[in-house]
Amino acid sequence: MLLQVKEVTHTYGETRLQWRSSKRAPVLSGVSLALEEGECLGLLGTSGAGKSTLGKVILGLEKPQAGQIVFQGHDLYQSDRATRRSLRRDLQVVFQDCYSSVNPRATAEQIIGEPLENYERLSVQEQKRTIGGLLERVGLKPDDMLKYPNQFSGGQLQRINIARAIALKPKLIVLDESVSSLDMVNQTHILSLLSELRADFGLSYVFITHDIKAAYSISDKLAVMEHGQVVEMCDDKDQVFASTHQAVKKLLAAMLPEHPRYRSRSLGSI
Amino acid sequence: MLEKSRKVLQVSGLHVKVKTEQGMLSLIEDIHFDIERGRVLGLVGESGSGKTITCNSLLQLLDPKHTTVEGSIQLNGRELNGLKAEDMRQIRGKEISFIMQNPMNAFTPVYTIGVPFIETIRTHTALTKKQAAELAVTAMEAMNLPDPAKLLKLYPFQLSGGMLQRVMIAICMCLRPAVVIADEPTTALDVVNQLQVLRELDRLRVEHGTSILLISHDLGVISELADEVAVMQHGRIVEKADVFQLFDHPQHPYTKKLLNVRPKLPDHLSGYFENRG
Repeated sequence: MLLQVKEVTHTYGETRLQWRSSKRAPVLSGVSLALEEGECLGLLGTSGAGKSTLGKVILGLEKPQAGQIVFQGHDLYQSDRATRRSLRRDLQVVFQDCYSSVNPRATAEQIIGEPLENYERLSVQEQKRTIGGLLERVGLKPDDMLKYPNQFSGGQLQRINIARAIALKPKLIVLDESVSSLDMVNQTHILSLLSELRADFGLSYVFITHDIKAAYSISDKLAVMEHGQVVEMCDDKDQVFASTHQAVKKLLAAMLPEHPRYRSRSLGSI
Repeated sequence: MLEKSRKVLQVSGLHVKVKTEQGMLSLIEDIHFDIERGRVLGLVGESGSGKTITCNSLLQLLDPKHTTVEGSIQLNGRELNGLKAEDMRQIRGKEISFIMQNPMNAFTPVYTIGVPFIETIRTHTALTKKQAAELAVTAMEAMNLPDPAKLLKLYPFQLSGGMLQRVMIAICMCLRPAVVIADEPTTALDVVNQLQVLRELDRLRVEHGTSILLISHDLGVISELADEVAVMQHGRIVEKADVFQLFDHPQHPYTKKLLNVRPKLPDHLSGYFENRG
């Protein structure tokens, strides 16, 4: 078992404001999940369902008020510093907004090199070669390493973010709406790149999205969240279409048609 | 004659160039289209294909210092290209409305929703503040927004993206524009809000006969709302057809490519859309 999320409950703003009687609704309440090595879990839900918070909790960025995250057999929030540091190496993330997840004043080389500098002591030459190899792996040219973020398109920059995420050969990558802001053509390219990388490196993904079709195309299992709870857990992703839970039905009903003849509205014309 | 008057927006030979150090660079070339009353024209294409430049040039929002706009843009027979800034300001909002991709950035964060809402109404009509506020409340009620009177006193960050986008459509509705340009209106929203916003746009056109220029890279959005589709690639319209025609018999290789890259449900589930209520 690579990752276990056990009964995680979290509320924002409570740890700092303990003196104030808090009436905030929990962002996560009693969430449990499990992920095997090499698996991809699609995490679905509308905005505000708690998907991104769960992603942050899994990454070790947001300490939950109750519950446990067990990653590779260690509790992520209870281990000592050294263990935590080595666990973090195996946890990476790719966010939705590719422009704000890089330093605009750093070159692609510096962006991808940062995790390498933190964890691997490579010589200058070796590091350059590794970065060049990573850029090629995600479909860019090694020469691109001298460019700055504003010289890349959104799709290319997202590839750089992916290169940074795979630089340390992690075990788990949290993909938080990683393809949502890209156009259809780029989305498809990035999704197939992610599937390839997963097969090549034996990666596991937590794929956070509100787009059922994208989640379906990449995931093995699907979990649907609503109001901070996992309301439907489908170990076989096809089960999601047979779900009777209203949150799932709402998501399915909002799916846009593949052809104009299935459009949902009554064709009112003048 | 009647046939001619139904065409609300006619664009022909639109050509936008931008000044660069290497000389003039064409952004979009040879754009022709027209929209009839109450119809929806979808404009599809990858990022960088010139969709947003097209709609910015329709509204004369491009900086004339750096760009030149050639060609003709006629709104109900009136030429917009080359119109004075003062006259254009009368047209923006009143006759052509614009719905932007990111509703969070479209509202000034330091003012409550009511301020730009009432200001927009009063700029184009002779209503008093009170009348404008009443009109705003009615428009927001029509958009299925809960408790509109209270919403007017809230700040943009207190509303969700979907709600802000519906407020945006409500502002458009108040002024009954002839044309609404919606530039990726749902890209920043989740699926449930997306469908709601598309339905409200549809209502706008059914109830007020507004024509909509719908810009999107998502063929799902297009198949839900558009009547006609124009496909853009590298600053040109490569194919223009009725929405059913385009999905069933795409002509241009680029259109075929766009149709093929969409994530699809697997075959055994493709009946899902036919069965749903």
